[in-house]
Amino acid sequence: MAAAEKQAVTGAGPFNGLLTWIDQRFPLMETWRSHLSEYYAPKNFNFWYYFGSLALVVLVIQIVTGIFLTMNYKPDAAQAFASVEYIMREVPWGWWIRYMHSTGASFFFICVYLHMFRAMLYGSYRKPRELLWIFGMLIFLCLMAEAFFGYLLPWGQMSYWGAQVIVNLFDAIPVIGPDLAIWIRGDFVVSDATLNRFFAYHVIAVPLALLALVAAHLLALHEVGSSNPDGIEIKNVKDSKTGRPLDGIPFHPYYTVKDSFGVVVFLIVFSIVVFFTPEVGGYFLEHNNFIPADPLKTPMHIAPVWYFTPYYSILRATTDEFVLWVLAPGVVVFALFLIWSLKKSATRIAVGVIAIALLAGLLNLDAKVWGVVLMGTSVMIFFFLPWLDRSPVRSIRYKGPITKTALTLFVIAFFVLGYLGTESVTGGRTLAAQIGTAVYFLFFLLMPWYSKMDKCRPEPERVTWK
Amino acid sequence: MKALVVLLALAAPLALAAEEPVRLDSAPIDPRDVASLQSGARSFVNYCLNCHSAGMMRYHKLLDLGLTEQQVKENLLFTTDKVGELMNVAMTRKDAKEWLGTAPPDLSVIARARGADWLYTYMRSFYRDPESATGWNNMVFESVAMPHVLWTLSGQQVQVERKFGNMEQAEAIGRQQKNAWKIDVLTPDQAGKDGERFILKTIRTETAGSLSQVDYDILVRDLVNFMTWMSEPNQVTRKQVGYVVMLVLLVLLVLTYLLYKEFWKDVH
Amino acid sequence: MSDQSRVNHSRRSLVIASACAGGAAAVATTVPFAASMLPSERAEALGAPVEAEIGPLNPGEKMTVEWRGQPVWILHRTKEMLEEIKQTDGKVADPKSERKKDDLTPEYARNEYRSIKPEYLVVVGICTHLGCSPQDRLKAGPEAFESQWTGGFYCPCHGSLFDLAGRVYKNKPAPDNLKVPPHTYLSDTRILIGEDKKRA
Repeated sequence: MAAAEKQAVTGAGPFNGLLTWIDQRFPLMETWRSHLSEYYAPKNFNFWYYFGSLALVVLVIQIVTGIFLTMNYKPDAAQAFASVEYIMREVPWGWWIRYMHSTGASFFFICVYLHMFRAMLYGSYRKPRELLWIFGMLIFLCLMAEAFFGYLLPWGQMSYWGAQVIVNLFDAIPVIGPDLAIWIRGDFVVSDATLNRFFAYHVIAVPLALLALVAAHLLALHEVGSSNPDGIEIKNVKDSKTGRPLDGIPFHPYYTVKDSFGVVVFLIVFSIVVFFTPEVGGYFLEHNNFIPADPLKTPMHIAPVWYFTPYYSILRATTDEFVLWVLAPGVVVFALFLIWSLKKSATRIAVGVIAIALLAGLLNLDAKVWGVVLMGTSVMIFFFLPWLDRSPVRSIRYKGPITKTALTLFVIAFFVLGYLGTESVTGGRTLAAQIGTAVYFLFFLLMPWYSKMDKCRPEPERVTWK
Repeated sequence: MKALVVLLALAAPLALAAEEPVRLDSAPIDPRDVASLQSGARSFVNYCLNCHSAGMMRYHKLLDLGLTEQQVKENLLFTTDKVGELMNVAMTRKDAKEWLGTAPPDLSVIARARGADWLYTYMRSFYRDPESATGWNNMVFESVAMPHVLWTLSGQQVQVERKFGNMEQAEAIGRQQKNAWKIDVLTPDQAGKDGERFILKTIRTETAGSLSQVDYDILVRDLVNFMTWMSEPNQVTRKQVGYVVMLVLLVLLVLTYLLYKEFWKDVH
Repeated sequence: MSDQSRVNHSRRSLVIASACAGGAAAVATTVPFAASMLPSERAEALGAPVEAEIGPLNPGEKMTVEWRGQPVWILHRTKEMLEEIKQTDGKVADPKSERKKDDLTPEYARNEYRSIKPEYLVVVGICTHLGCSPQDRLKAGPEAFESQWTGGFYCPCHGSLFDLAGRVYKNKPAPDNLKVPPHTYLSDTRILIGEDKKRA
């Protein structure tokens, strides 16, 4: 029997007996070894590699503070706003729990965006890590949903009208839109029914999905092993005697120790916000949200919270003119380009058919619809990165000038779009957002070509400490 | 601010008469000034609680301002008889809408929504307007439904308009004001024969009130100070805890850093 | 290797120091969470002492006042009722209210009539068995549950009996006398329930 053959646990001092007892009935030591003490991670992780563990820390913070908020929050349109103030004023330490939760929400996105950027820098999504990337993208989608549902709960003006605007987007879908929007809301406008169900999604449904996806994400990572800033596989060079990767070090104690330092640095930044500037000038806690929701009065300036603004910008940039003069010709040009560069006739025909269908849609459906489509696509397109990137090397360190320029332009576009999303619409700003949108999409759409033709440098055999 | 003004001025031909946002005065509040907070509490209870509620604020919390329960009971308890009660008003929202046209908003967190500067400027920007329903108007909040509750203290002001040919001149005069001021920019068509497109709107006291302008400003300052405190009564505690937490985290930072460096000596 | 042992020593002390500091910080972090579960200011406000006007209460009448969500009875006892209390000394389980003194019977109620003023009984109207609210059976006379009934309270849930001083009868499911809440007389006609000391 496996249990009788297992070695007794050593090195745990007085706990050896207990741990052995558990280990004979539960894969305790096996888990410890394969995921911590004998999980070999590359030794050259740099600053960008902190954000995965930090995202996990924020998840824990959100869940714990969320539980305690739920003890006093009332998911009822008549009581929600006041119950949040009740927590802020009258529940002992309630203000701290609330601020941690609101700050945590924003920091979750900061960590996740930086974590995703790391993947883009070092090609962490490349084979064999495509599934890892897909799980990560699914986590990102869940995170956006979680933030969206959670933001309605304080029932302030921004909560209400933000939800109203976004649910109305579903209204724009042809044929099924209006009924779908009513089904989502549970009412003809955002109301108490909507609040209650968003509460259920936010507190139970999405967190469960998130936990499952995070577990899948970590399992997928450990299955293939972590990549590193040089993008090379450390498993390619192993010690002849032990079989361990020469450039690998056990996660415990090296990265448990390094990450605990990272966590403390993070907590310092986090605490500065929580204790000294929880509103962050209105970016983390919006001023208008301190006005109770009023279905009869729309605030002058509805903007989503900062982490959604790039996509909001893309939505607003998609005007009738943009559809007519940029998207339609763009589809035509791109389709022709694809047809010219692809060889198989079946694919060429498919491309042609899709292009014609798209064109018909672009010219006949409202720009509003295409705004929603583009906004959705701007997120979904990330899923395809592992297959768009055809570079022979993984890491930006060894890629050529075209890729470096493209990535730089993408980052600038992302920030510009993000900033524009916080401001009101003007002619000049719309033009800037349209340019940003074009850069954003071209980064992905042209990648199969520029990643291939770019002049790369040879990758090293062993990791480097840049 | 000036860039925004210039930009809007340039964009004016594209739009109707462009309205400048009112330049807000910086509210000289000091959240540590307990005397100011107490005075503001008194003003708030005496003048505001008749129409506005502060339904998320408990009278008991006023003890944090250094008052005793007895002082609160004697001087500040107007709408109820229990210190443990919330600062609600007897007027229901329905009645309020009927009598005043719109329900006066709850003021518990108004300072977080509008900001102290806005409130400070607002309370000092009322002027007589015979065309409005209440007889009053406000430079910060056009056509506001709220009458100038403190007019006996501040006296009666009127709005004065002056036309200028360029923005700099208008601004220069504007900045000399002790009260709120704003500049409306007309399009060249609307400007009329003299071509002066920049209308400076200021406030002038016509009839003095029981307080001098300086004293009235102090009263408003204290009131806004109180309302800022009321919108987040735990803000002082928050910062105090913050300093302690930073100290603890700094200690942990040193320890974890040393630990990290110690273990990573092995790694080359 | 001597180098090795030196490295191990300092490493060990660092680990211990960090673990202790981190552990202390972690424990300190749980305190606010646990504290947040204590009664909030609203609960405190709702649990605040309650004033009762006893002026209009005639002899023989009982009024009920809510304090902390519980019914508090104020019974204006007649002279006959006070006599009847003497007769039940033998029938009640704890005639001198010695059981759980600190919980159930404050100092000023540790007397024959379990009250500050003999004519007013102030007790929490909740049976000490499982929490039902007993019914009034204030008049003396034969009852189904007790032929020599001298007046008091009958709990319908499991049949516990209490006399006119709130003392529980022997051999009944309820173990204790009815609780006398902290209270004080603000004047001859006003009782403050929930607090002993007079508010200034």
